[in-house]
Amino acid sequence: MDPDAAKTTRESLDLAFRISNIMDTGLDRQVLSVLIALCDFGLNPEALAAVVKELTRECSSSLPTPSALSSVP
Amino acid sequence: MEEEDQQKILDLVKELVHRLLSQNPSSKAPNSNPNHNPNAPDFQNALRYAIRILSSRLTPSIAPDAAAIAESIKRRLATQGKSSQALTFADLFNKFALKTGPGSINNKWAVLYLLKIISEDRKTANNGPNSVALLPNLALNDPDLKNDSRVLHNLTRGDRGWDNGVLLVAKDPENLREIAFKEYVNLVREENEVSEEVLVRDVLYACQGIDGKYVKFDANVDGYALLDTVKVPRATRLIVRKLCELGWLFRKVKGYISESMDRFPAEDVGTVGQAFCAALQDELSEYYKLLAVLEAQAMNPIPLVSETASSGNYLSLRRLSVWFAEPMVKMRLMAVLVDKCRVLRGGAMAGAIHLHAQHGDPLVHEFMRSLLQRVCSPLFEMVRSWVLEGELEDIFAEFFVVGQPVKAESLWREGYRLHAGMLPSFISQSLAQRILRTGKSINFLRVCCDDRGWADTATEAATAAGTTTRRGSLGYGETDALETLVVEAAKRIDKHLLDVMYTRFKFKEHCLAIKQYLLLGQGDFVQYLMDIVGPELSEPANTISSFKLAGLLESAIRSSNAQYDDCDILDRLRVKMMPHGTGDRGWDVFSLEYDARVPLDTVFTESVMGRYLRIFNFLWKLRRVEHVLIGAWKMMKPNCITSRSFTKLQGAVKLQLLSTLRRCQVLWNEMNHFVTNLQYYIMFEVLEVSWSNFSNEMEVAKDLDDLLAAHEQYLHSIVEKSLLGERSQPLYKSLFVLFDLILRFRSHADRLYEGIHELQARTMASSLPSQDKNKSRRQTSDKSSEPGSWISDGRKALTQRAGEFLRNMGQELDAIAKEYTTLLEGFLSQLPVQQHVDLKFLLFRLDFTKFYSQVNPIK
Repeated sequence: MDPDAAKTTRESLDLAFRISNIMDTGLDRQVLSVLIALCDFGLNPEALAAVVKELTRECSSSLPTPSALSSVP
Repeated sequence: MEEEDQQKILDLVKELVHRLLSQNPSSKAPNSNPNHNPNAPDFQNALRYAIRILSSRLTPSIAPDAAAIAESIKRRLATQGKSSQALTFADLFNKFALKTGPGSINNKWAVLYLLKIISEDRKTANNGPNSVALLPNLALNDPDLKNDSRVLHNLTRGDRGWDNGVLLVAKDPENLREIAFKEYVNLVREENEVSEEVLVRDVLYACQGIDGKYVKFDANVDGYALLDTVKVPRATRLIVRKLCELGWLFRKVKGYISESMDRFPAEDVGTVGQAFCAALQDELSEYYKLLAVLEAQAMNPIPLVSETASSGNYLSLRRLSVWFAEPMVKMRLMAVLVDKCRVLRGGAMAGAIHLHAQHGDPLVHEFMRSLLQRVCSPLFEMVRSWVLEGELEDIFAEFFVVGQPVKAESLWREGYRLHAGMLPSFISQSLAQRILRTGKSINFLRVCCDDRGWADTATEAATAAGTTTRRGSLGYGETDALETLVVEAAKRIDKHLLDVMYTRFKFKEHCLAIKQYLLLGQGDFVQYLMDIVGPELSEPANTISSFKLAGLLESAIRSSNAQYDDCDILDRLRVKMMPHGTGDRGWDVFSLEYDARVPLDTVFTESVMGRYLRIFNFLWKLRRVEHVLIGAWKMMKPNCITSRSFTKLQGAVKLQLLSTLRRCQVLWNEMNHFVTNLQYYIMFEVLEVSWSNFSNEMEVAKDLDDLLAAHEQYLHSIVEKSLLGERSQPLYKSLFVLFDLILRFRSHADRLYEGIHELQARTMASSLPSQDKNKSRRQTSDKSSEPGSWISDGRKALTQRAGEFLRNMGQELDAIAKEYTTLLEGFLSQLPVQQHVDLKFLLFRLDFTKFYSQVNPIK
């Protein structure tokens, strides 16, 4: 990776992080970078958001049993 | 590459799950050592779950438009009251979006969208679980809302539905909307047996006059309509019918064109009709072009931003109705014109179309103008060739100037006339008159005058008017130009014609000659003529030979000033004997005639010459009476009768003689006064005045029509004023009775003076010495029928005879005098009553001293 590309990447990530802070998403840098990478691959952002939502919800509340997990479509 | 990507994705997902799980604040492990244990059952479950979610929704439900998403985020931030943050966000986004090239994010929109959803999810998660079932942006109790702006509060309270400007269909978990849409589509499909595309195609066919699969021409309704068997909603049926009006109009126009074209060989349709058909066909070809474009468009779908979304074809029935608006107007116009012009031809057709062109709408106006330009071009061509060359190229009888074959002398008056039916309404009546006259003049010049000089004037006129003499230089809408051309041409041709008439044919001279000879203007000639011809004419009419009269005419001409006239004029002067009955004398049938040849006989036609003849007769009679009276005067000269010779007579006889003589002279004076004044009136008040008026008119006459009118006026005034008109009949009759009386007087006066001379001779004879007596006897023996009676009776008998004779004469003279007086009074009383002609000058002359009105007061 040439230094220009690396710089661009770093700056983009930085901007994205600041945007996400403004929007109050509660994501940290690492998670955000992973998400961005996944989006770049063409995954549906709605689906990714759903994943984030579900997993954070799971974590914020007490760990649900696996049976409860399967009930969600 | 695919495998690699998949592996990378999987790794990333694992990473994500791990991080999210390790974010757990309520992690049971107190030593928060992020245990990256891939084998933990939580982890695995979570991973599986994540993968399931990711694979279930593969396509986003919105358009990948980063700018739109950014806008909505900005708006949301602003409405939440975080305007400074919104500005910062805008700034950041601009920078973010500018980052392109290797190493930058490709799906920026995805990132933004992701962040947006996450932040919303957080908000709803914070706001409680009951908002999960709703669309997330319908949350009512938003703690972020600041309370300082009530409007914003209300706004955001109720209108969250469209907050982001993006429809999130995929957000409702139960897919209510989709179900509703699917149901609707099924319903519509059920109702419409035929799809809209097919209908559109059929309508396009109908508009070209062709029956489609479902739209056919219905003779009952007289229009194109959908077949009743086809099941379509009523609205569709109506719109199809409306659109097919265009088809009906088209059919009508096309029908007319083909009908006309069939009639072309039969030469039933004129050039104007042909031009009209051609113009209509051009319009129709424009129309065909439009239809072709529409048909090509009909099959193309509307291009949309999203690749997978489908839309209907470009052309729907409603779009068609918008497209057809303008052609409908034009087609309607054409159909109206076709109806109007079905039975018309030529100029009438052009006029009818012109009337329709008076329209305020600029589209209509433009259309009609171009149509009219083509339709009227044959007409204008005809006008041009008529005005500049005098040619009438009119095979189909469409022009408003109609010619008919006539003799040369009536070419001007009757050869050409206007046909009002074919006159188009944009050519005014006066312009049409001018056009007629110009062409007539050219023809007149060509035929009657053998003149070729007008061709130059034509080119001059054209250049003066700014056009050329070529074909097709004038068109409709240039009526002013046409008018200028016609006016210029008319001016020049008229001038040329008048020049020719005056200089080559010496019109003025001929008029003057007619005045001199036929109207007895040349006094000395008339005097000589009368002297010579007089004795001849006293014979009965059928014994007079016209050759002899012609010879006498010649000698009269030679002995007067008339001999210095132009011999061409003198050649035309002739004696004419009118058709006579048995009792007529020469005086009644004698007349002079003037031979006016082509082209002057346009002015001096048969009827005109007839009128001249009447006037001549009257004037001739008047002259004759005058001549008679002059002759009587010659006889009455006093020195013929010396009173010396009457001394031998008795006093009574002498007295009688004197009184008779006196009475005779008085009567003569009266008659002479009357006749002279009448003569002078005719000469000065009537003839000369009319002639000077006519001369003035001739000076200012601009064309032959003016000249003809002036001449007509001249003759008319002469006829009226000399009491020859219709309304002066009673006066005329009494005048002639007076003339007859005068002639009788003359004969009496002759007898009287003869008798007196005889008496004189007798008395002279009786006082003469015998030689002379014998001589005079011999002389007298020839004269009197009773040679012996006078002399043998002696002086007594002489006196007696003389007395008797004189008494008789006296009585007769008295009778004549009385009759004369009555007649004259009758005549004079009728004069002031004549309203139609100004006879006050005559009355003035005759009754100068008011003698008659005193004697007989006129009531």
